[in-house]
Amino acid sequence: MKRNLIVVAIVAVAVGLMLWTASRVSRNPQRLTSGAAGKPAPEFELKSLDGRTVRLSDYRGKAVLLNFWATWCGPCKIEMPWFEELQNKYRSQGLEVIGIAMDDAGEDTVAKFVKDMGVTYTILMGKEAVGVDYGGVLGLPTTFYIDRQGRVVDQVVGLVSHSDIEDNIKKALASGTAQASAPANSAAAEQQK
Amino acid sequence: MKQTVILAILVLTVAGLAAGEELLTLPPARVNYVTAMPVPQVKVAAGRPVRIRLKFRVADGFHINSSKPMSDLLIPTRLSLSVPTDLSVGKITYPGGYRFVLPIAPQEKLRVYTGEFEIFALVSTTRSATPGRYKVRGELKYQACNDRACFPPKKVPVDFEVRVLRSRLSTSYRPRRNPPQSPHIHR
Repeated sequence: MKRNLIVVAIVAVAVGLMLWTASRVSRNPQRLTSGAAGKPAPEFELKSLDGRTVRLSDYRGKAVLLNFWATWCGPCKIEMPWFEELQNKYRSQGLEVIGIAMDDAGEDTVAKFVKDMGVTYTILMGKEAVGVDYGGVLGLPTTFYIDRQGRVVDQVVGLVSHSDIEDNIKKALASGTAQASAPANSAAAEQQK
Repeated sequence: MKQTVILAILVLTVAGLAAGEELLTLPPARVNYVTAMPVPQVKVAAGRPVRIRLKFRVADGFHINSSKPMSDLLIPTRLSLSVPTDLSVGKITYPGGYRFVLPIAPQEKLRVYTGEFEIFALVSTTRSATPGRYKVRGELKYQACNDRACFPPKKVPVDFEVRVLRSRLSTSYRPRRNPPQSPHIHR
């Protein structure tokens, strides 16, 4: 009986240690793992190519298409003109397209690439930590569709068709509309100008 | 005893769930899209460079850029070898690769390696090299994609053994000997 109690105590300590370790491993409590849909999109603060500091929360009240990409990624290049077109089409309804460049090539290379591609939507220089928060971003492109409340509506890894992207944009625009706070915050409003 | 077994199962389940959660977020650095095949021991004699064949295999469903992809932005496949001082690496020859077009974007033309491919490297020794076994280490840097997504650049380690043979100058390599001196120059 006494022996059993010792075993139970050891096991309880071991379980406690494991849970404590697991909680420490998660660097960001908002970090996405699998099945991101419905979860809050992790907050980030990154520099844009035009030198602004951009936070995801700046876009609260808008639907955000958050696209992780890189200059060396062929499929990413195919999507970019589509994002540009869809940004123009749905901007008035509250869509904001944001590209996060997960590139080691440097800001100048990214800026030249973006200019050559005719991209005018916001491009941010990515950091590995942001990728980790968004579930590791295992492949590029990875696109998150975020509703007006800052919740992930869908996550898509890899190139999909133009119509699939548009369908997801419509879902993001429609989701969270009822609870959406009316005015977008200052940074987003400023950008819209 | 029964209680202990149940508790052990419970602990393993909790540990498994915790590990599983972490596995789901494994960084791409832990995934291998290319594997290097073992290289049989290479024998090199002084003054006689040997062409070494290094075989690689790209995982099914993936491709990697060739050594000369069709855009400066794409990351080329590169082999680098580091050799002990008695050895040296000469020209590295890459295959040309296959022309590849993404089904969804036929205008994007690529030159890639898929399946198995071989890279050749010229290895030689100095004449004063001590006979024996030498370890050559290196890495293949590549960037993999499939039809729909691309993955961050990665490196696969390469290593092989080179056996430097005893110098056989008397038989296989015979430096040109000076012809007998003409007697007139000693006049």
